[in-house]
Amino acid sequence: MNINSEKGYVALLGWSLNAVEAAADFDRRYIVVAPDWARDYCEQHDIPYMPWNFERINERSMEIAEKLKELGVDVAIPLFEETVEWAGAINSVLLNNPRLLGQSMLMRDKSLMKRRAQLGGIRVGIFEEAHDRDDVIRFLRRVNQTLLKLDGDPNDPIHFKAFDKAGCLGHRVIRTPDDVDAIPDEEFPALIESHLDGWEFAVEAWIHNGKIRFLNISEYVSLGYSVFVPASPQLEQHRAAITQQIEKLIKVFDIEFGLIHPEYFLTSDGEMYFGEVAYRPPGFKVFELLERVYGFNAYQGMILAFDPKATEEEITAFFPKEVQDADGYAGCFGVYPRRRVVNRLEIPEETEDHPYFESHELMPPMEETVTKRTAFGTHWGLIYFKGEDADEMFKLLKRQEELDFYV
Amino acid sequence: MTQVDTTNQAKRIRLSQDLDTATERLAKARDFAKVAKLKPVLDLARRLMLANGFAEIEARSQALESAGVFLGTDWDQPQILLPTLTSHSLKSPNSDVVVIEALSELRLLAVAMGDVIHPQISAEQAHHFLTQVLAINLSMLFTPLSEAERESQGRLAQVPRAMLSYLAERIGYEYVIDQLIAEIWRILRQRPVQVDSVKQMITQIAVCRSSANMNLGNTAIGADALIQGADRLVSSLYGPTQLCREDPGVEIYAERLQNLDSSALQSEAFGFSRAMHDTGLVSPYHAVLLRTLCESQPHLIVDALGLSGTGRDSLLCYHDLVTALITQAVTPHTPQAIFGLTLMLERGILYQPAVAPSLWRQLSLALSAWSEQRLNAVFGTAVSARTRLLEGVLLMLGLPLGIGQGNNPTCQSARALSIWSHIDPDYLLQLIASAARDNEIIMHFEGEPISSARVLDDIARPLPIDLDPVSILLVPHLDFIYGEMGRLCQGRAGDPHRWINPEFHGWRVCRGFRINVNVTTGQLENLEDFLRYFYAYYHPYYNGNQPLIHPQPAGIAITDSAARFIGWHAITIQRVALDPNGVMRVYFYNPNNDSGQDWGDGIVVSTADNGEQFGESSLEFEPFASRVYIFHYDTQEPGEPARVPTENIGAITEYIQRSWGKERSADLALQASKGLNGA
Repeated sequence: MNINSEKGYVALLGWSLNAVEAAADFDRRYIVVAPDWARDYCEQHDIPYMPWNFERINERSMEIAEKLKELGVDVAIPLFEETVEWAGAINSVLLNNPRLLGQSMLMRDKSLMKRRAQLGGIRVGIFEEAHDRDDVIRFLRRVNQTLLKLDGDPNDPIHFKAFDKAGCLGHRVIRTPDDVDAIPDEEFPALIESHLDGWEFAVEAWIHNGKIRFLNISEYVSLGYSVFVPASPQLEQHRAAITQQIEKLIKVFDIEFGLIHPEYFLTSDGEMYFGEVAYRPPGFKVFELLERVYGFNAYQGMILAFDPKATEEEITAFFPKEVQDADGYAGCFGVYPRRRVVNRLEIPEETEDHPYFESHELMPPMEETVTKRTAFGTHWGLIYFKGEDADEMFKLLKRQEELDFYV
Repeated sequence: MTQVDTTNQAKRIRLSQDLDTATERLAKARDFAKVAKLKPVLDLARRLMLANGFAEIEARSQALESAGVFLGTDWDQPQILLPTLTSHSLKSPNSDVVVIEALSELRLLAVAMGDVIHPQISAEQAHHFLTQVLAINLSMLFTPLSEAERESQGRLAQVPRAMLSYLAERIGYEYVIDQLIAEIWRILRQRPVQVDSVKQMITQIAVCRSSANMNLGNTAIGADALIQGADRLVSSLYGPTQLCREDPGVEIYAERLQNLDSSALQSEAFGFSRAMHDTGLVSPYHAVLLRTLCESQPHLIVDALGLSGTGRDSLLCYHDLVTALITQAVTPHTPQAIFGLTLMLERGILYQPAVAPSLWRQLSLALSAWSEQRLNAVFGTAVSARTRLLEGVLLMLGLPLGIGQGNNPTCQSARALSIWSHIDPDYLLQLIASAARDNEIIMHFEGEPISSARVLDDIARPLPIDLDPVSILLVPHLDFIYGEMGRLCQGRAGDPHRWINPEFHGWRVCRGFRINVNVTTGQLENLEDFLRYFYAYYHPYYNGNQPLIHPQPAGIAITDSAARFIGWHAITIQRVALDPNGVMRVYFYNPNNDSGQDWGDGIVVSTADNGEQFGESSLEFEPFASRVYIFHYDTQEPGEPARVPTENIGAITEYIQRSWGKERSADLALQASKGLNGA
């Protein structure tokens, strides 16, 4: 596509091949800001590149902001949890809006985030900050006392989330004091919260000029295993209410542009509880799933949403109509080996022969012994499905949990 | 049409549509993004193959290739691919490797059939390549899935088989069989010590042949070719004589022998020796006959071995020793011992005073527990470890140039064994006795003794398993000592082979040493000087017509069929002489298992028809010289380096610069101006 220098110039913070590809195929100037190891690859393939090591945010953020400003970059786009506060710092300089740094810090701290939401009148579960294991045990006991449990009754679980980890990393479900002992020191401080029984789902919302331009609801079949888009009709019937919630969130967090990725619980009485929100693309390749059913590139959508120079017409023309324009359902399943010792990768016949099966990105096992999973862990790769029927998709994704992909 | 076929049909249509979409996405992707788009293509191709959609893939092969399926891999240059490697990739547990290999074959099929014109490979070349692929993987074509394949590949194991039979149907079975038989003959003419894999292939053919009609279906031509061309090979193993023509089994054959008179026995003896000398393969029936003759008609042993004058004299002089060797080493499980014994007698080495007594020691040698356990583990327990080792000893002494390194990076050890067997057999027997009985070999490096005893304590060290019995026991020791010698050379300037080669192989290796590569920079240096000295020492026209006295180890730069550098390799220069056409050739020993290699730029190593003795490889002098990077020579007999014509040096230099020297020539221009020093 032809590059139009009238349009915005964006910096992608972090290395994501799919994002780079999307930017390269789009009509705007871009530059990749990534650690040194990406240098050779970028040079080899003529990808505009600026080296930067994203550690904890530090006084050098000004340096990178100035460098990008000199280049004429209009806005920085975070691709990973670790680059969210860098984007905030950089954008506060590029867009001359110091508030953006504070906003990004909110997004990076699960506890601050929850308090802010609560202050803004958004429903959240019971939560606290934990600095050591004693805090966790006390919280576990208090939550269960509140629930009028007697000694000896099985505890209701609580959730433990390291403050600054993305998605399922560092997310543990705690039922007993033994679970508490298994938490490593480096995961503190953390957010602890009560368990909400309900339907968990996520939203991806593209925002420009403070307005929602596209809102997707991602339905989780099992948290940490599988997701599909668009959501089933049963969940989509709550779209109006969900949109209201997101508008509230935008107001409370004072979000003008960009992409947010919040998670909610829908309880049986139709009440929505806010879980957390991230200011970056979701994991689990939801962007790829969206492209599969809607045909638009979600990264390009993100570039548009961030670009202060994007016009109203451009944005309206870019995004399709939610649900209506989707040609089916696309879902993916994260594979974890179920056996302790594995020899090879073998996709089960029933999976591969299912008409919804599209492709997989599983690799042959590198080692034979499977490390025991702590927390929700990292899956070994994803399997992609696409088909006409939401119920079938749900059943299919659920069924995968019972199959062995590594034998 | 069965139900299964129609569902498969529907599936193939769906999968090929998906494959088209995925291929298109791959084609459109930018270079840096192709990796991510390749996976779905390979995956769909795999599933299409599982549904038997080879025709669908063949039809799409050009689209797949231009989309970039092979980009950045060797498969991107079909002209350099080697058929032998396909059997490894087709058996890979990694599905991507299997699929790419299969895709490559199907692409070549489209080229071979004339449906696609390929810029790098012609239809004839593609056709030739595919027939070789089929021949090499013949066993997969005709035998059911083995448990090992199922274990490592799972459902994927069907793919290579189905693909190969699709190829065979399209290409025609008759080509496959012809090719296979030619291939076996080519290997056999090198007279390798290890013939297990050849025997397996022949057994394959025998099995296919007996059920030819069933397996080959209506391809009548294929069946005919199979039956006629393979006859000599199959019969040499399973029925070389009248009395065992129908492969009756060794016991029945032994009974039949009891009723034969002397002249009938003699005719059996002739039949066996003819088959043996023809093919280098020995039938188990031959062993039965020879043992019988030893007991009842020893005067017919000469005929059963097919000996010439020299061999006959050795046999008569050392009759007791030979009888003892037959009794202990020759069994229906170790028939190749007969061939080893025969060629050993023909070499006349029993007349070297120390050899016969060494063999007597070998006959009564008590093997260490480790040696016995090792031999049993590798070769099984059908015969005793000592018999197995004796067979190996006879083969090694009979076929010094047939020793192979197997699939191990130990060319130096195999080369040393070959050199010792060739010129120093009693020393070799000494080493075998030490290793097999004492678990230790001691060699000296510049006066300092090096013991190999430690090597067997190192349990983590991988031991070779695909070697002959002698190598199985000796190679770990030799390898260790070779490594130790290298360690002792650390810190010395220049290439350590200068000191290791004479110390390791013995005094017969000349101390004069030349190398044309700078060890530190990897650049060529002193090239002209190097080539002049090589020429003057080895080429009879420039060394006073002096034949090479002792075989000399040399180092060569191995290049592939595209003349790209692969690595350094150890060989032995056996002799330099005029071939039957009057062309000067270097005859050399290559410890590789199959020496007929294409080194690119028109240099194809010959193993027969150019005056080679069994096991020798040969090349014309100049092309050979262009691959040498290390040689030894006698500094007192250097020949006349200055007389070597500059054109000849120039021709060799061009060969070097077109191949492995391409990226190593930076310093050469500089040196050329300095001219020749010292000659």
